[in-house]
Amino acid sequence: MGLFVFLPLVLPLTALPIARLTEQHLHPRATTRLLTLLAVVLGLCSTLCLGLLMVVGTAQLPGNPLPDAWSDPEVRAAVPYAEIAGSTAVAALAAAFAACSGALRRHRRIRARAHHALAALPPRSDPAILPDEDPYAYAVPAAPGRPGRVVVSRGMLRSLDDNEQRALFAHERAHLTCRHHRYLLAVRLAGCLNPLLLPLRSAVTFSTERWADEEAAHVVGDRLLTARAVGRAALIGRAAPYPELAHFAATEAGPVPRRVAALLAPVPPARSWPPALTPAGIAALFAAAGTAASALASLNSVVALFLILKAATPL
Amino acid sequence: MGGKPFGRALGDPSAEHSGGHHDGFGPGQERARRRGQGELEAQVLAALHRAAGPVSAAWVQERLGGDLAYTTVMTILSRLHAKKAVTRERSGRAYLWTPAADEAGLAALRMRRVLDGEPDRDAVLTSFVSALSAHDEQVLRDLLGGAADGPPEDGTRAGGSREGRPGAGPRRPGNVGGH
Repeated sequence: MGLFVFLPLVLPLTALPIARLTEQHLHPRATTRLLTLLAVVLGLCSTLCLGLLMVVGTAQLPGNPLPDAWSDPEVRAAVPYAEIAGSTAVAALAAAFAACSGALRRHRRIRARAHHALAALPPRSDPAILPDEDPYAYAVPAAPGRPGRVVVSRGMLRSLDDNEQRALFAHERAHLTCRHHRYLLAVRLAGCLNPLLLPLRSAVTFSTERWADEEAAHVVGDRLLTARAVGRAALIGRAAPYPELAHFAATEAGPVPRRVAALLAPVPPARSWPPALTPAGIAALFAAAGTAASALASLNSVVALFLILKAATPL
Repeated sequence: MGGKPFGRALGDPSAEHSGGHHDGFGPGQERARRRGQGELEAQVLAALHRAAGPVSAAWVQERLGGDLAYTTVMTILSRLHAKKAVTRERSGRAYLWTPAADEAGLAALRMRRVLDGEPDRDAVLTSFVSALSAHDEQVLRDLLGGAADGPPEDGTRAGGSREGRPGAGPRRPGNVGGH
């Protein structure tokens, strides 16, 4: 057994290379689903592992409400540094659950405040166009009893021509119909459960934007137009370039230029799986194998820990 | 008044980019028919919001690119009026239309408070574009410049092109939807 019991806690480290691979070679729809599933599975496994460590490591400590028999000496021998691991697990679990409930509360509050703001408008005016000079466009996810809405400011609309506006509306509409906020929330909660999963959050944020871009390009039937809409919306209010600052910035392009570049490139394969024996196919297979292996290893560790616990105690 | 809103439209500084979208649009009639009702309403509303004051239905029709029938525009305007999203006043034999400012103004005010008061809002409200770094901006201008001047694969860009050129780039119909 040994250090293997800690495996589910560190396996999320594999998430970052997997995210990179899928982002490069899969359709953004497949990327979003795969990475979200991966984040949820790894997050749950590592939480389960923490829970078992807590039980094994601390049940025998005086003052602990759990039955002492749950932490049999034989089981504790299988877990290195059982007591330290156990007490650390208690703290980690508490932090994870506090972070999760905080994230959920914040999600509900922002959603409710946005719906409250839009309640001033006639209920069926969608997209809601707000007289605000600041350029912004948001998709407000559906709340119980309230459908999702698209909010666009006049400042944003004024800077885009009519066709680019259609691309903008199609993009935001795609966020709502494909329920992207659910993927984003799931990955966010997974990141609260295990901070090693945090890189997946930005990866999924990016892939949902790409997904919506692809949907918008499909609806308006013009990738170049969609690329221009995204690019011009991002450049609104930036009149003159600052060449003196540009050289100090990060060498890797941020999300918006990458989205525009992807839209200027050909359509990604519509199948969710590229053919094997091409570089993309092999990379996808590797990514899938990595995902499956890390998920299985997590489960295996958790099950093994659970089994020795069960075998050694009269549960 | 005299129902002459076109004079105002020509003087409207925001009308400068309305000229570019005719040439770059493929089978306009076909696409217009498939456009959803909600989207048409949004476009009419957006056109009204960009107007400097009350405008006629003909002005709206003109601003939407002319691929919608006048009666369609009137139907949409009446529907928006029934939803209280626009108000109208009689001028001679026609109506002049204005977007309902009060509710929208209130909503905009509240929305602004949400956006300013919640630093974490982007986790919940998915934004169209995120903030750009200076480096991103340079990359983006290069990309858009290359896209406007020619196909990206041999994108030899004449430097310093402005980003505000809607519909100016040549279309590549063979590349769209391939693969």
